[in-house]
Amino acid sequence: MLKREEWLPLARKLDWEFSYTTEREVFPEVISGRPWLPHSAWKDWDESFKTSYREYVENQHEKDMAVYAVRDAVGRLENVQNLATPWLNGLKIHAAALPLGEFTATIGNLRGARFGRDSAWRAMACFGALDEFRHTQIPLLLMHELVRWDARFDWTHKFYHTNNWVAIAARHFFDELTLGQNAIEFQIATNVILETGFTNLQFVGLASLAHEAGDHMFEKMVTSIQTDEARHAQIGHPVLALVMKHDPKYAQYLVDKWFWRNWHLFSFLTGVSMDYMTAREQRSASFKEFMEEWIVDQFFRTLDEFGLKKPWYWDTFLVELETYHHMLYAAAYTYRATVWFDLMMPSPADRSWLRQKYPKYWDDIEAVWEQLGEQWKSKGPGRENEMAMHAAVLPAFCDLCQFPLSAGTPRNNTATVVAHDGKSYICCSEPCRWIFEHEPERYAGHKDVVKRVLSGEAPADLGKLLTDYFQLTPDTWGKDVCSGDYEWLRNRRAASR
Amino acid sequence: MPLPLYGFVEGDTVGVLIIADERESVGSLAKKLRDAVSLRVATTDEMEIVYRAVALDPAITLDQARFAPLERFDLRRKHGVSENRNLG
Repeated sequence: MLKREEWLPLARKLDWEFSYTTEREVFPEVISGRPWLPHSAWKDWDESFKTSYREYVENQHEKDMAVYAVRDAVGRLENVQNLATPWLNGLKIHAAALPLGEFTATIGNLRGARFGRDSAWRAMACFGALDEFRHTQIPLLLMHELVRWDARFDWTHKFYHTNNWVAIAARHFFDELTLGQNAIEFQIATNVILETGFTNLQFVGLASLAHEAGDHMFEKMVTSIQTDEARHAQIGHPVLALVMKHDPKYAQYLVDKWFWRNWHLFSFLTGVSMDYMTAREQRSASFKEFMEEWIVDQFFRTLDEFGLKKPWYWDTFLVELETYHHMLYAAAYTYRATVWFDLMMPSPADRSWLRQKYPKYWDDIEAVWEQLGEQWKSKGPGRENEMAMHAAVLPAFCDLCQFPLSAGTPRNNTATVVAHDGKSYICCSEPCRWIFEHEPERYAGHKDVVKRVLSGEAPADLGKLLTDYFQLTPDTWGKDVCSGDYEWLRNRRAASR
Repeated sequence: MPLPLYGFVEGDTVGVLIIADERESVGSLAKKLRDAVSLRVATTDEMEIVYRAVALDPAITLDQARFAPLERFDLRRKHGVSENRNLG
């Protein structure tokens, strides 16, 4: 009998030279990606951690059993109901964003499984597709039990099917990353940028916060998902190495583009969760500190090994590391009915913590929370004043990333108007603008929320926009967790009498 | 004729869509924007509309100032006015 190390190389390297068709017909550049190279250039494609189908099935079975055991022990409805309110609302963000986003990665991996340029790559992408399908089904299963308690957990499945502004941003990202993408760009953008960088932050950083919050089901779910990521993320590295060898400028462009796109998405998903939706006493670190450990430090060492440079907009990124998710959260708070989870005002103690972690521009963000506190004081707390404490004018969105125009600082918002083909677009930041101008054919036809309202495709009336377009209801749309009735605000009100 | 514009106030955390009319005054536009962001930013009369890097006379119309649709305009502290932390 052959030993594993003897037969596995044979079972991975399965390509042959085509005689009835051409390599270009089997792997057209438009789907396989560029640079288009003959198979002779790809034949040594190699993954560090090898697995056979049998090993894969055995390992995945064990992992699944472990997840379900934790679900049975601590993931029941009554366990979740005892979690802190801010964390539960953060859970609703992740529940919605994760599963169908993972399903798009199933499809992206299937493209790699068919159009990857070496058989070993294609085999690994098959396993990658199965992984992502697992990442789709686990959260759908785990969150399903919660729907009968809180209809917002129905957004676990519903989210990507709505025209909620967050869903528009997420779909715009995943449609480009996975669904409408060629195999080379998919593997580099997903495996190297998203999975080696940002999902480390998401699944490892957030897992530690879940542990502190007592949400052991979520903790187990994301750590289990992360073990798959660590394996299939290795697909992208040898792809990147070969693209670097033959077209280093293009490799750098892909890294620069996808780092920025990932940065904005994860600022919303993870930044807001870590610094605002986790109780202060349960935060082991700030979002910035997690980013500095997992991205700035580790990830960029990885890029350095490939001979890649830091993105050209690095200084802009460093400013946004201090400001972007704070600007987004403060804006989102005043538009909270447009989302499916509740938000809360950070208390003075929370804001002291935030000031300590983000000293450079915090004064300007603090001023906004002070103003909001004054507004609640003058209007008075209570559900009846929710909409009086909600902005009535439509916020504006970036025509690239589809997030609100919240880039830069409160003193210097970096939104910039771009003219293309006789039409006007607006981008929140120079990097978003740069990406738009590099591939306008990809982005120019997409309508952001503002353009949909102006064209009549979406209602201009806020109430109808929430219900008819964003598919929210008075029960599911976001509110202030305390309806403005914060103890610290009551104390202030009493002190000022 | 309706004129959709992107408005930004110094001190705010997001840009907003303002539906203006080309016949209205710059002063009226400023008031619309101030009202739109008042939850987050306390503004004052010591602020001016800046469009295409030029501070505008509040008395002129948007048509006279040559505003174009879907362009950016800002409400900023007048030059030389010192900062009040809440801009109010």
